[in-house]
Amino acid sequence: MDVLVIGAGIAGIASALGLADAGLKVYLVEKEAAVGGYAASLCCKATDVCSGCSVCVVPEKIKQAVTHPQISLLTNSTVQRVGGEVGNFCVEITQKPQYIDTERCVACGLCAEVCPAEPKAVYLSSAEAIPFSYVLDERLCLRFKGESCKLCGESCSTKAIDFERKPRGQELNVGAIILATGFDIFDAREKGSLGYGRYPNVLTGLDLERMFNHEGYLKLSTNGKEPKNIAFIQCVGSRDEGHGYCSQVCCKYAMRLAHLIKYQSPDTQVTIFYIDLQTAGKGFAQFYQEYRESIRFIRGVPVEVSPASSDDLEVRFEDISQGRVCREIFDLVVLSVGISPRKDSWDLARILGINLADHGFFDTKEILNSNGTNVEGVFLAGTCQGPKDIPDSIAHGMAAASKAMQALTVRGR
Amino acid sequence: MRGEIVAFCCERSAYPAADLAGKGKLCYPDNLRVIRIPCAGRVDAIHILKAFEKGAAAVLVLGCEDGACHHITGNIRARERVRYCDMLLKEVGLDGGRVGMFNVAPNETHKFVRIVNEMNEKIKESGETK
Amino acid sequence: MTSCIRDKNIDRVVVAACSPEFKEHVFQQALENAGLNGHLLSVANIREQCAWAHEGDVTEKALELIRMAVNRTRLLQPVEEKELSVNKGVLVVGGGFSALNSAIQLSQLGLPTTLLERESTLGGRIRELENMYGFKTGPMIEAAEGAKNIDILTSAEVLEVEGKIGNFMVRIRKGAEEISRSFGAIVFATGYETEVTDQDFQLKPGVNIISQERLAQMLQASSPKGRPQTVGFIFDFYDENSRFPTLATLSNALAIKQKWGSEVYVLCRDVKVDSEGADQLYREAREHGVVFSKFEEKPRISADDGRVKVEAKDVFLGEDMTLICDLVVAEERILPPAGTKDLSFLLSIRTDSQGFYQDENVHLYPVASERKGIFFIGGCRGDLDFQRALADVSSVVMNVYGLLSSGKVVVEAEKVKVDPQKCVACLTCIRVCPHSAIQLARTEGEKEVAEISDLACDACGVCAAICPAKAIKFEGYSDEQILAQIEALGAP
Repeated sequence: MDVLVIGAGIAGIASALGLADAGLKVYLVEKEAAVGGYAASLCCKATDVCSGCSVCVVPEKIKQAVTHPQISLLTNSTVQRVGGEVGNFCVEITQKPQYIDTERCVACGLCAEVCPAEPKAVYLSSAEAIPFSYVLDERLCLRFKGESCKLCGESCSTKAIDFERKPRGQELNVGAIILATGFDIFDAREKGSLGYGRYPNVLTGLDLERMFNHEGYLKLSTNGKEPKNIAFIQCVGSRDEGHGYCSQVCCKYAMRLAHLIKYQSPDTQVTIFYIDLQTAGKGFAQFYQEYRESIRFIRGVPVEVSPASSDDLEVRFEDISQGRVCREIFDLVVLSVGISPRKDSWDLARILGINLADHGFFDTKEILNSNGTNVEGVFLAGTCQGPKDIPDSIAHGMAAASKAMQALTVRGR
Repeated sequence: MRGEIVAFCCERSAYPAADLAGKGKLCYPDNLRVIRIPCAGRVDAIHILKAFEKGAAAVLVLGCEDGACHHITGNIRARERVRYCDMLLKEVGLDGGRVGMFNVAPNETHKFVRIVNEMNEKIKESGETK
Repeated sequence: MTSCIRDKNIDRVVVAACSPEFKEHVFQQALENAGLNGHLLSVANIREQCAWAHEGDVTEKALELIRMAVNRTRLLQPVEEKELSVNKGVLVVGGGFSALNSAIQLSQLGLPTTLLERESTLGGRIRELENMYGFKTGPMIEAAEGAKNIDILTSAEVLEVEGKIGNFMVRIRKGAEEISRSFGAIVFATGYETEVTDQDFQLKPGVNIISQERLAQMLQASSPKGRPQTVGFIFDFYDENSRFPTLATLSNALAIKQKWGSEVYVLCRDVKVDSEGADQLYREAREHGVVFSKFEEKPRISADDGRVKVEAKDVFLGEDMTLICDLVVAEERILPPAGTKDLSFLLSIRTDSQGFYQDENVHLYPVASERKGIFFIGGCRGDLDFQRALADVSSVVMNVYGLLSSGKVVVEAEKVKVDPQKCVACLTCIRVCPHSAIQLARTEGEKEVAEISDLACDACGVCAAICPAKAIKFEGYSDEQILAQIEALGAP
């Protein structure tokens, strides 16, 4: 019997691989043009040794999934309607028009060369994107503005481009559904006093990850220099009113990034402001001992970041050990933003008839089954159920696959 | 004058990193010749020495980060072998540092490019082997 | 491509195009469709690693890459696929929460399971969880005992494990007798142990300083003699891995408030809230009047007239704080179960830096080990909370089911192979193989040689590189094939 996995982030991919390896046919549906989700955009945080961030596991799982004969990947696709019950769900899926066929495109780039639009209407979304294919942006394409341009189509040697493609609807019959829709990064603009979006040298942890990935090192956007005095502020969008949970990833990524910065430039000062340091977990304790020596830890989370002279930033915090309010100057402030439930969770919850829990993540049915929902045959995998890091998401994804397998096996008898 | 750099790249880490560098159009010296291997631990001294015999100016062995090798200790064994070859090369009069073992994660394109560039600078400074 | 191979009787193929990472599997399929073995293919990466990586004219380099690939391809030999049968039975070692649940789930999927527990009864530390999570363990044990394809061996232990995935031979001691059984996969769920960190207190745990386990028993008993007025909890000073102790402290502190109405003080360094529901529980405990104080230094503890005096410097107040408690719940370190070291040595599996099962290698997470078919779940692989252990359980069930459910596995036959003529049985390969895939076998000529199991081998080539007699050939990456690529360097 076939299974539908919604969301091709790391948890969805783990679920799909688990089921496909057991011989089931899996439809892996992804809303975006590329698979991998957030996990695929993070950077390796190894210094001389691996720091255990698990980011390098992601490209490998992606490769396994996209080449697996039992997995059908549907990108740019969303679920519109679900009917039926466990063992016999009927799912309606719509795929955005694929003007460039990902199967045919060999990413030669000729189409982008000839495209007269400014900015180019055909492009690669990123070097890491999988499927590795150009996309045609109908908002930029001259043809969709009423002109008769077809230069890219003529230039394409594999005939991958077709302007006449329409949104494609299809119906799938599946026995079980696994939801692995992931999370939204907390929007740091909501914490106005921390200055994200207003001051260019206030960044989020994710910005830092992507900067390391794309540049290989840190630089300030204001003067192009390397930052010399960096503050990390923990629990931005976690453990507060409205987010009554720990995001589970921020302490570790902040410490690993801080250590990577110290490794690359030992002169840089790094300070981490925290409430409770989350240092539990396999293999982390020994790193923490090392981190304590190179990183300054201050208990207490700053409430305000304001501009100081030139591009520097003043951070106001309460030094608990001295019992008074302090001000200190940093040239870069990094907000360790947490994991929030997806804003569009409600739509899917409605389509599937499942419940949302207090914080907005999908609700689980019972304490002994963190994959099950109130609808039999619909299972949860990964961060759409609650915050998780990469290994935990993989474990949870495999667990969801196992629960789906069990549901189908029990019914089959 | 030739002066290739032969890079033995682990197919799980450095090889995808090299691909990604190309996809991102990051340029590196065109004297690099990549040989794909299943794990850095597959590289034997004879492979490294053969490359020098055939006129390579430098050899790189690129594997996963220490502690993240799929085969647990493959990259550590490779490092030992590289050290051994470095010693042999010194004995025959090739100045040290022409063979190196480095760790690259599959998405560390910049690190890959940096390693290749640094090795290229080094061989330019010390001249060709032939 | 397929018809070209077929029509022209081509026996080996070089594709000079994009990276093999991108489309190699497609080309291999094309070869197979034409009736040619998929391994007789080389891809010269003249796009990602040539045209796109350099500026200027790189035609010369592209030609050289193609020559390298051609040289390699000449020497390629086919690698056939082979179907091997595997034993569908699973051995689950342990009798606690993770072990019971994985055995139940495996048996529901139709895999015959043997549950092996060291103690005389099942359950392990499972009853500690009853209080915290409000489920009953009785039905869980009954379900395992009642399932027709679960075989339960209590008072039993693993003595020796031989063989490979699909066919492990396990020698077991049960009571006074020894038995041998064969299993397709082995799941270790041996749990953890705790140790009260009393040595620094200069006190033996006695009446007033107790463990979490003892507290749970006291809370379960309906009326404790003389309810303690003041209770102190201490944790997170000795052990970073304190997710579970944090959860236990939070839920027990709440229970004391609700059942006994005592004053409750929690002394810790950091509250480890990075597990599901922990932050909510922390909030709830504070709302119920549990007082949390955070310290950088370990508190000093002394006995004072039958009560316990705790002194420490509070980071919030910045001054010394003295607390006189009727009852102190001491910090417990979570330790690997006894026998972990011996068993991991026996299995040639590395432990982590804290001595738990499973090496700290991200590619093994969540449940795998460096040996195919051997898995570790739950507390025995390090600090885990309840929800993570649950994910481990279902995850391992999927892994095992995927491996064994069909009763057969398709492998690449003799991809890495020992030449019995050259092998001198020096055992070097057996020693270095990270996956324990090599063993000694007797040839027809009564000579002992190394033999590589196709099932257990993960094709890394470490053995081929290290073999002093050069007796191991790794098809596709053999010495000749690698050297042939190097031979093409520079030569026009």
